[in-house]
Amino acid sequence: MSGISRRKFLKSTVVAGGSAAAAMSSTKSAFAMKEFDGYPDSMGVLVDFTRCIGCRTCEAACNKEHGLPEPELPFDDFSVFDQTFHEGKQKRRTTDKAYTVVNRYETKGPGGPVYRKIQCNHCNEPACLTSCFVNAYKKTKEGAVIYNPDVCVGCRMCMVACPFSIPAYTYNSALHPEIIKCNFCYDNRLKKGKPPACVEACPQEALTFGHRKTLVKTAHERIRSNPDKYVDHVYGEKEVGGTSWMYLSGVSFDQVGFDTTLQHHPILDNTKSFLSLVPMVLGIWPALFMGFHLLATGGKGKKSESKEEGHGE
Amino acid sequence: MKSRKRWVLAGMVVALFFLTAPVFGASGDIPATVLIDSLSQLYNGVDFDHEQHLDIEDDCSVCHHHVFGNGVADKQCARCHSDSEGISSVACNDCHVKEPFTVGHIREMEANLNRYHIDMTGLKAAYHLRCLNCHVKMEAPTGCADCHERTDAGDRFYHSDKYAPVGGGVEGHHE
Repeated sequence: MSGISRRKFLKSTVVAGGSAAAAMSSTKSAFAMKEFDGYPDSMGVLVDFTRCIGCRTCEAACNKEHGLPEPELPFDDFSVFDQTFHEGKQKRRTTDKAYTVVNRYETKGPGGPVYRKIQCNHCNEPACLTSCFVNAYKKTKEGAVIYNPDVCVGCRMCMVACPFSIPAYTYNSALHPEIIKCNFCYDNRLKKGKPPACVEACPQEALTFGHRKTLVKTAHERIRSNPDKYVDHVYGEKEVGGTSWMYLSGVSFDQVGFDTTLQHHPILDNTKSFLSLVPMVLGIWPALFMGFHLLATGGKGKKSESKEEGHGE
Repeated sequence: MKSRKRWVLAGMVVALFFLTAPVFGASGDIPATVLIDSLSQLYNGVDFDHEQHLDIEDDCSVCHHHVFGNGVADKQCARCHSDSEGISSVACNDCHVKEPFTVGHIREMEANLNRYHIDMTGLKAAYHLRCLNCHVKMEAPTGCADCHERTDAGDRFYHSDKYAPVGGGVEGHHE
């Protein structure tokens, strides 16, 4: 035992471990402070299920706006509401041919069926964006989460990451497959200060377009003015750190297929503190432990290694 | 004494005249039908039978809010407008705008965020919410074409009738 004693070595490791733990807790608090409440002028849409009549005009408007393929059934065919998948457990979902779909839910309430429109919710801190390692996604200052197929490598991590299971994929395209999802009509409308096509087409104004922060006020005002009509919750105000599209309902949200167990902070927060440690671990630990190794062996190990190598030659 | 009584009587008659005059005046202007077609695009306009609806509901405020100045049925409106005077804007499109989501209109609404009417709907929703909610309640027709016939542009928009998809089948997220 020369150079460094076993006791000394263990002592120094404990100290190093302690300082790493301290670093870990300090980074966690540092990241917790950096909360992003969305861009200040972000636009949004308030969806009011008490107004929706299930006419599917929004679906037709979306199809026309984006030049999507012809539907398999006309948009005034309401038999689509009876379609189910996975042994009746799954209602219609967004597909590579439909950025948005409306589903019907038979609820316990006295108001008859409730219709729910689904599309990308345009999260303030999107999980799809943070999961994408080629930066194919972008959250624009207007609030849209847009996707660039040119850089996408087709890993489909975003489809797994999305808490709302929205992104679809053109599996039938062998050469240029891409992710398909609602883009808030970004290029042709939102960027120019116009509402999305579905909002404009809705006859009932079940979709209200405006600044997100104003819509939050509007939503709470509607609940306050009609406490018997609405459930006292604005879905999307806080879920996964807030979404640009928010929802008001007359029945509890779990009755209309919403995931009511979602966390109120962004999905990214689950990995932020861990990921911030990665550079430290990769950068410092090799040098640190190599130092320990050299101290512990007094450089002997290296010598004997080079000796052996010399023999081998 | 006699003349005094006569004056009182005359005063009452005059008062009665003034009290009822707006109603008489208004009834003279009530249109029997209203053609609602300023937004027609996917559907033709509605030739609205105003007279028929007056037979069903004689309280104008149910549709026209407080604009006639004789009280208002809706409790929310009554909070401010229970004794508001009548105004000259009585048509839906006098207040409800055709394009509620333009930059200009959103800006105008947000200029005074504490105003109650920040949540006023656009014209299309004003019609549909007012008409359809009542039609559902009264068990009146609620199909789109029950009130307005779809145009050719509408058929094309909905991929319906002569523009219906050939083949059909069940659409799904994975086939």
